[in-house]
Amino acid sequence: MTTRTIVELHAIQTVPPSNLNRDDTGTPKTAVYGGVRRARVSSQSWKRATRRAFHDLLDPSELGVRTRRVAELLAGRIRNLDGSIEETEAWALAAETVQTATGSKIEPPKRNAKGDGPAPAPESKYLMFFSARQLDGLAELAVKGRDDIKAFFKDKDNKAEAKQIANSRHSVDIALFGRMVADGADINVDAAAQVAHAISVHQVENESDYYTAVDDHKEREDDDLGAGMIGTVEFNSATLYRYAAVDVDLLSRNLGKGLREDEEATEPVRRAVEAFVQGFITSLPTGKLNTFGNHTLPDAVVVKIRSSRPISFVSAFEEPCRADQDRGGHVREASERLARYVPEIERAYGVADDAKTWVLRVGPNTTALAELGEEVSLPELVKKVGAEVAGRQSDAS
Amino acid sequence: MSVLLLQLAGPLQAWGSSARFARRTTEPAPTKSGVIGLLAAALGRDRSHDPADLAALRFGVRVDQRGVPIRDYQTAHHFETGKSMPVSERFYLADAVFIAALEGPDDLIDELHQAVRRPTYLPYLGRRSCPPSRPLDLGIREDGDIEQALKREEWRASRWHQRRHREPTVRLETIIEATADDGPVDSIRDQPLSFDPTHRRYALRGIRHGYVEVSNPAAPQPSDHDPIAVLGGE
Repeated sequence: MTTRTIVELHAIQTVPPSNLNRDDTGTPKTAVYGGVRRARVSSQSWKRATRRAFHDLLDPSELGVRTRRVAELLAGRIRNLDGSIEETEAWALAAETVQTATGSKIEPPKRNAKGDGPAPAPESKYLMFFSARQLDGLAELAVKGRDDIKAFFKDKDNKAEAKQIANSRHSVDIALFGRMVADGADINVDAAAQVAHAISVHQVENESDYYTAVDDHKEREDDDLGAGMIGTVEFNSATLYRYAAVDVDLLSRNLGKGLREDEEATEPVRRAVEAFVQGFITSLPTGKLNTFGNHTLPDAVVVKIRSSRPISFVSAFEEPCRADQDRGGHVREASERLARYVPEIERAYGVADDAKTWVLRVGPNTTALAELGEEVSLPELVKKVGAEVAGRQSDAS
Repeated sequence: MSVLLLQLAGPLQAWGSSARFARRTTEPAPTKSGVIGLLAAALGRDRSHDPADLAALRFGVRVDQRGVPIRDYQTAHHFETGKSMPVSERFYLADAVFIAALEGPDDLIDELHQAVRRPTYLPYLGRRSCPPSRPLDLGIREDGDIEQALKREEWRASRWHQRRHREPTVRLETIIEATADDGPVDSIRDQPLSFDPTHRRYALRGIRHGYVEVSNPAAPQPSDHDPIAVLGGE
């Protein structure tokens, strides 16, 4: 049987009054679990925060761009390769190339097609996700077929090459979070990372903050005395359980053989896993961040590497935690619950010896978790997970 | 013939049937196409693989804990410019527990059981952001059909949910694939013909709604206290 490598991340994170992720009425998102209402931060919201963190962790060449203005982006690269190409010609070359590679229509947007100004750059109908290396490859191909781009892509080999470029050597974020091109089903990428909606370990009620704002410039005595404006902001406070799993084997296939030619075959997967671990742990959705200033980091993180299947520990919190001021609140209760639940479920399902475990924790409230695995700091954690993953990948190959 | 039982429990699940585009709904119980898709992924098949062998299995579901529908409002923003994109609505079932049963030839059921224990693609409950909160596999039942397996299986609802029921037995809804002997039945477009993203296709399949009685482990135990006896009653 081939070796499987799956990385699991579990985090306990407290956020004070905040509204990280809201619905169309401005109310913080919630879900019912264990029969009671919980705070919820959707997976897509935290995935976006994680992706944003990648910009500080990875080289731009390892990242993708998600945009509808893919033709404009590609045209820029085409003109870098060949300065003699005019902008509008580059747009046309780019549009035809992306259309061939993805099977999706690339056309000037209708909304400003009329009017007297210059014609706008063509766009795709939805967000497309391309890595820097894929755009470079497509740009080279477009320049090669510059004389008659339509005829160029009539050729079966050229068409296949365009598709192949769009379909290999994905950027770290595409490899982790997937790509959906609704028309070009053959260039979809299955996401290697699975991120669950974060939910609070306890019951929450959303609260509402009624505010008034003073008009500073209202100074004459005969001015009305009312507030300049009034309004409400909804919020809640929560200790969240956050869970994600990364299928390292799939990640490795998505990334292809090396981001660069001059490095070890396991280097891309190591860097991607390290970026994900660091990014998932330290990132925060930006919803109402300036209103509430709720910049927190997890109090505890448990990371496991398994070789069969991932296990979410959310069941440990199905019965809602109750804060006890004398005993240390939700974080302590949640840590003790996890410390009891993890060995129990692993023993019950016969996977106790399967996992390598690290624990990152802060303060006496999380002491119970120390027994689950090797205690590490964040830099150590990132390095150790990366090394373990790279080691297992080179053993497997 | 044997029956594979799967436990589908999690804070969120979503079992879409005809949902497309910006409004993604969920059925009130797991769909056959959803569960077959989960098994095909566990086997490591890609989407263009013909699901005919798995689709030929007979499928049944028991609703152990009905759950609560919730609506999620999702916005997307352009990553570079921050411009907002069309919003979408996603519906989920929160707090639900189901048992799914698949009946078929022993060797295929065995293979699926192995795959669920060591899945190639990571399993999720209808949508990628919905990982299961309990291990999926409840094992294989070799004696009997789906009806018997779902009748004998203990009640898998959460303890808090069980405690809300005082009675010693509860009636759980079952939705089981109809057989030729069943006569007229309901049908839904949920028989997977192809998962290929370029031409997903589903046929109609017949379903039969029913109930099974299972015992409630959280019911108060009957005590020896019998005031009628003291009064000389029967």
